[in-house]
Amino acid sequence: MANRVAIVGIGQTYHKSRRPDVSQPEMANEAVRAALADAQLSMKDIESVFFSNMETFEGIYLPDHGMADEAGSFMKPGFKIASGGTSGIAAAKEAFHFVASGLFSIALVLGFEKHDAGDTTAAITAATTLAWGKGQARGAIGEFAKQASNYMKQSGATEEHAAMVRLKADRCACRNPYAHLRLGLKSVEEILKSGYLEWPLRLLDFCPQSCGACALIIASEEEARRITNKPVWIADVVAVHQEPFRAGAFCDLDGREPYSQDVASTKLYKRNGITNPRRDIDMAEIYEPSNWEEMFLCEVFHFCEENEGWKLIEKGITEIEGEFPVNPSGGVLATNPIGATPTIRVAECALQIRGDAGEHQVTRDVKTAVATALGGPNWTAMVLLRRSL
Amino acid sequence: MAQEPSQEYIHVAYTMSRPYRWSAGKYLSKLYKEMRDSKKLVTNRCPKCKELLWPPQMVCGRCKVRAGDDWVELSDKGTVAGYTYLVYPLWDPHAGKRVGEDHPYATILLDDGMYMVSRLEEQDKEKLKVGMRVQAVWREEGRGRGLDEDILYFRTIEQ
Amino acid sequence: MADKLEELESLVFAGKVDIPNTYSAGLVGSRFLIELRDNKKITGIKCPTCNRVYVPPRSTCKYCFGKLSEWVEVSNKGTLLTYAVAYQPSPVQPVEVPIAYGIVQLDGADTGLAHMLGEVDPEQLKVGMKVKAVFKVKKERVASILDIKYFKPLG
Repeated sequence: MANRVAIVGIGQTYHKSRRPDVSQPEMANEAVRAALADAQLSMKDIESVFFSNMETFEGIYLPDHGMADEAGSFMKPGFKIASGGTSGIAAAKEAFHFVASGLFSIALVLGFEKHDAGDTTAAITAATTLAWGKGQARGAIGEFAKQASNYMKQSGATEEHAAMVRLKADRCACRNPYAHLRLGLKSVEEILKSGYLEWPLRLLDFCPQSCGACALIIASEEEARRITNKPVWIADVVAVHQEPFRAGAFCDLDGREPYSQDVASTKLYKRNGITNPRRDIDMAEIYEPSNWEEMFLCEVFHFCEENEGWKLIEKGITEIEGEFPVNPSGGVLATNPIGATPTIRVAECALQIRGDAGEHQVTRDVKTAVATALGGPNWTAMVLLRRSL
Repeated sequence: MAQEPSQEYIHVAYTMSRPYRWSAGKYLSKLYKEMRDSKKLVTNRCPKCKELLWPPQMVCGRCKVRAGDDWVELSDKGTVAGYTYLVYPLWDPHAGKRVGEDHPYATILLDDGMYMVSRLEEQDKEKLKVGMRVQAVWREEGRGRGLDEDILYFRTIEQ
Repeated sequence: MADKLEELESLVFAGKVDIPNTYSAGLVGSRFLIELRDNKKITGIKCPTCNRVYVPPRSTCKYCFGKLSEWVEVSNKGTLLTYAVAYQPSPVQPVEVPIAYGIVQLDGADTGLAHMLGEVDPEQLKVGMKVKAVFKVKKERVASILDIKYFKPLG
């Protein structure tokens, strides 16, 4: 029987477009210190460090080579994960595996991205398999623009619905002091005036490039009960991989290939006795690179029926005060330091379960929450968190 | 020495230039050669489940068996599954600068059931539709550099 | 179709990608570089707990994880800990080959600083020899590690 595992420390930096005042290791260090302070631990207590960063997005290659001091990993075991948008959950998932196995009792997860150092769209475009669509799809923007046009056609969602998702994200972000974009948007009309990057994706429909870091301290049950009286239990983790060209690069018309989100969530729910996700889970933090994607992902994670993702926002179900809050932190639409983005999803769920989310604490009592991530290398990863096991 | 923090921060801006040599491998090379020499799309079939693999590849991911020389010619007609067009010029690392794009690009569901990403000839945004029927327009002299170069774009065709 | 896979040659595409980047030296790195530029001074940061001086400076002590802020000036003279000589040119090298380079522990520092070695026949280099920093002239100094031109043997 594996050890039970809990999150006992959470720390993140403020997120901004530019952090000229710090180097990449210095920025990561801010999150490490915040997590240690939250857990009231010292670096001596940490046995292992798991890094998450999408190197090449910042032009800083082998980013872990110059940050053993600032990350606190000097002479300790660990490794770095770079699985695109899922890196930050994959690192948490690996820390969970190692602690559950009994190899380590206390591990640190460190997601970070200093986006002002590079151009992510350029890096993703460069990574596209050569002679197989190079220079066509411009990074993530091109891909999610195509998905948006596809979703619009399939579900009947309109640009107004997409704008409502941004409006919700911005209202949430304005209540989260750590969020990057806090625009104070007032109306759907204001968002519909924003120019197109790639039709139908507007500037305000898409996530920003943020500088920031997020750290989690993960501990075995024995250590967790010693460290905190508010442990957040990691009930389960799951990851699924997929081939992009078989699934039509995320937009499969005929449904021959299942979506990785569908497979991952179905597996997770089944293993954990979740028969009605919207009833059995209290809220979600999902990786939505665009507002269109949030509506679509709510469907493939089974928070609603197929082609009804837009009805969730229309009825206010996914608002902070709603029946099933989605991304009360403001989500990826507000804050996107890629290597840290999925780590923040887990951190925000854990804060909601602890009741420590402050101004953006959701109205309903959160006992169970799910954090998800997706990414260009075509992984889907999920973490299920609970207040009690 | 005094403890006041420095107000000036040092940055170095540079362009990371990375040369590459990308091997297509024999399976993709077969497709690219057929495109270059015969203006044809081809792929191979899994010996076990008999499904068409795409792009041509050595292993069937479903059956976990090695695929071989069971080649099939594909139709170059298909249906637009999703499309977009670039409005704001983004950095193109192959060009080393920000560039726009005249043609919309789309995910196209080929009639044999596989997806590919390509441009659309139609530039009138009002005439673009998910579900529209299209066919590949081939470069006169094939370059053997894959889908992006030997298929210029897809042209709208009648239902 | 004619070609069988085993007879087929694999196509290889050569090219390059260019991606814009910006490196931030950050809080302590910026100050170290500015001291080189403005005052021809080599500075370090001291960990008062572990009594170690880091050159180049770090914001965190790797031994005690203490946050560091105690700046100290170290000598521009030091000891050559190790060296090598590059004879093969490469586009990233700042000067022409042959390039002698090594790690210098400056007097007053507990760590080594990597830099080039100049005004010396590579044959004459010895581990343990004393060396001294040679700075570029003021108008050529731009807050870069290359504001130090190289280290040369002392005396």
